[in-house]
Amino acid sequence: MEHTLLDFNLRVMAPELIIVSAAALLVILELLLKESTSRNWIGWLGLLAVIAAGVSVGMEFGHPPYQILNDSYRVDSFSLAFKALLLGGGGLTILFSLAGGKNEQPKPKGEYYILLLAALLGGMMMVSSADLLALYVGLELLSLSSYILVGINKRDRHSNEAAWKYVVLGGVSSAFLLYGMSFLYGLTGATNLFAIQGKMVEMVATQDQAYIYVSLFLMMVGFGFKIATAPFHTWTPDVYQGSPTPVTIFLAVVSKAAAFALVARVLLIAYLPLVSTGAWNEIVSWLLMILAACSMIIGNTAALRQTNAKRLLAYSSIAQAGYVLVPLSTLGFVGFDLFPSLFYYLCAYLFMTAGAFAVADCIAKSCKNDQISAFAGLSRRSPWLAGVMTIFLISLAGFPVTAGFFGKFYLLTSAVGSNQAWLAAAMILTTIVSYYYYFEFIRQMYFRAPDLAAPRVSVSWAAWAVLAIGVTGTLALGLFPDLLLHELGKIDWHSAFAQAQNAIRQ
Amino acid sequence: MQLTSYLALSAILFSIGLYGVLTKRNAVIVLFCIELMLNAANLNFVAFSKFGLFPGLTGQVFTLFTITIAAAEAAVGIAILIALYRNVQSAEADRYDSMKG
Repeated sequence: MEHTLLDFNLRVMAPELIIVSAAALLVILELLLKESTSRNWIGWLGLLAVIAAGVSVGMEFGHPPYQILNDSYRVDSFSLAFKALLLGGGGLTILFSLAGGKNEQPKPKGEYYILLLAALLGGMMMVSSADLLALYVGLELLSLSSYILVGINKRDRHSNEAAWKYVVLGGVSSAFLLYGMSFLYGLTGATNLFAIQGKMVEMVATQDQAYIYVSLFLMMVGFGFKIATAPFHTWTPDVYQGSPTPVTIFLAVVSKAAAFALVARVLLIAYLPLVSTGAWNEIVSWLLMILAACSMIIGNTAALRQTNAKRLLAYSSIAQAGYVLVPLSTLGFVGFDLFPSLFYYLCAYLFMTAGAFAVADCIAKSCKNDQISAFAGLSRRSPWLAGVMTIFLISLAGFPVTAGFFGKFYLLTSAVGSNQAWLAAAMILTTIVSYYYYFEFIRQMYFRAPDLAAPRVSVSWAAWAVLAIGVTGTLALGLFPDLLLHELGKIDWHSAFAQAQNAIRQ
Repeated sequence: MQLTSYLALSAILFSIGLYGVLTKRNAVIVLFCIELMLNAANLNFVAFSKFGLFPGLTGQVFTLFTITIAAAEAAVGIAILIALYRNVQSAEADRYDSMKG
């Protein structure tokens, strides 16, 4: 029986519908405003929409998985958990953009917030679909909006240049992804991931498997770019450095988390039949492990010789992407139980990265200097800010009592549990290397005399709010990791990789 | 046999596009080359949907979507290039090197 859109319960799409209608409404409202009126309240309305969408995501937990139009849109615990993370990151981004407010030139305009909402919507589609077409459209909605966001300061040369690099390399990566998808479609004649899985089961048993790997490798290039893993990371430092800091936070947190969900979903549904033939452990796992190891090594060593604060944090985020890939790559050895540790690390990463970038931005704006040397003597100039930054840094470095420590600890156990000792060793060694550059900040803040000419660091209340959320999250996850892990353990991660009930009944 | 020649054509187009992105100095040509890569993938989709193992309309519908997205991407790319040109006064991609490290 044919099903049309209206046969489905559309209430499950509430979070997306809230975001899309808010974006549409704000476009029209912005048109009606006078040129001279402040656009800040558009940001506030956007933040309100994000919070409302977050509440509706929270209310959907606990229901059985549900799909719309042949899995083009599906809601399950996996997508809800990721959506909550994306909305959290998007909310922090909007809040931090509002911080710029008074003295910043140029002021964020109305379209900035609208594009942020559109990008967020794309990310939400990426985590809640099991159809190649819908996944691709979601990915491109996220990418196209973030290209513009990166270049939103159109009079700033760095911002433009970052946007140019991002649009060129992003275009290439999406071409690779699309080319890989075309082979996957050609092999199976379907775009639905479950239908592909069904065909793939027959395929791995009989035919020549060359095209399966062609599609896999081409798609991995695209995925590697989107999650910023080495050797596809070359855009990351330039783009993170050149874009306005709220956008950097958005790219580092939201874009990356959405891409992780996409990779997990595509690999673990479409290519799952490879597990039964053993090809998964021999090829797919190794591919991911090599990407993870490369990112850790290149990210951490390249960060050592950076002098620009945001650029250094960009390399650190490449290394973090490598850590997050570890549970995914060892999945074939251990099983689905690794999602809690992956998700835990992504939450920790959200708080500490957003916080660290926010502090770096406050310092760079106040001192008109984006080098690490601008941090000199911060402990005397502004002790609170120095303390807050220290918490984020020790969390990024992975020291105890912070979220980063437990996050890394769980990832390490998953690497050890899969008997991939070399991966665990690479993780530990590169973490030790990373101490050097994280402590460079601390050295500057506590053991360098402040530049007497340096102006006072002014931090707006919205930036304080972002920092407070970051510190609370980092410390709460570090002191009481069980709170989140217990909840994550209760989530039914398997449901993301099985047909929804209402799909079977048709 | 027909399918193979289409696949070969799209592979060649894809490679030319990739080569162009990596080597060309003119920024506009770089954008063209990205289009070439995207269209190679489109050609694959259409060839598979007509001559593939499992012929069907899905591939052609997919292509309609990707053509639209590629148009949007080109628009964004050109807009960014114009903004950049106003600041740098050059369309040579290797002049866009203010950030290093």
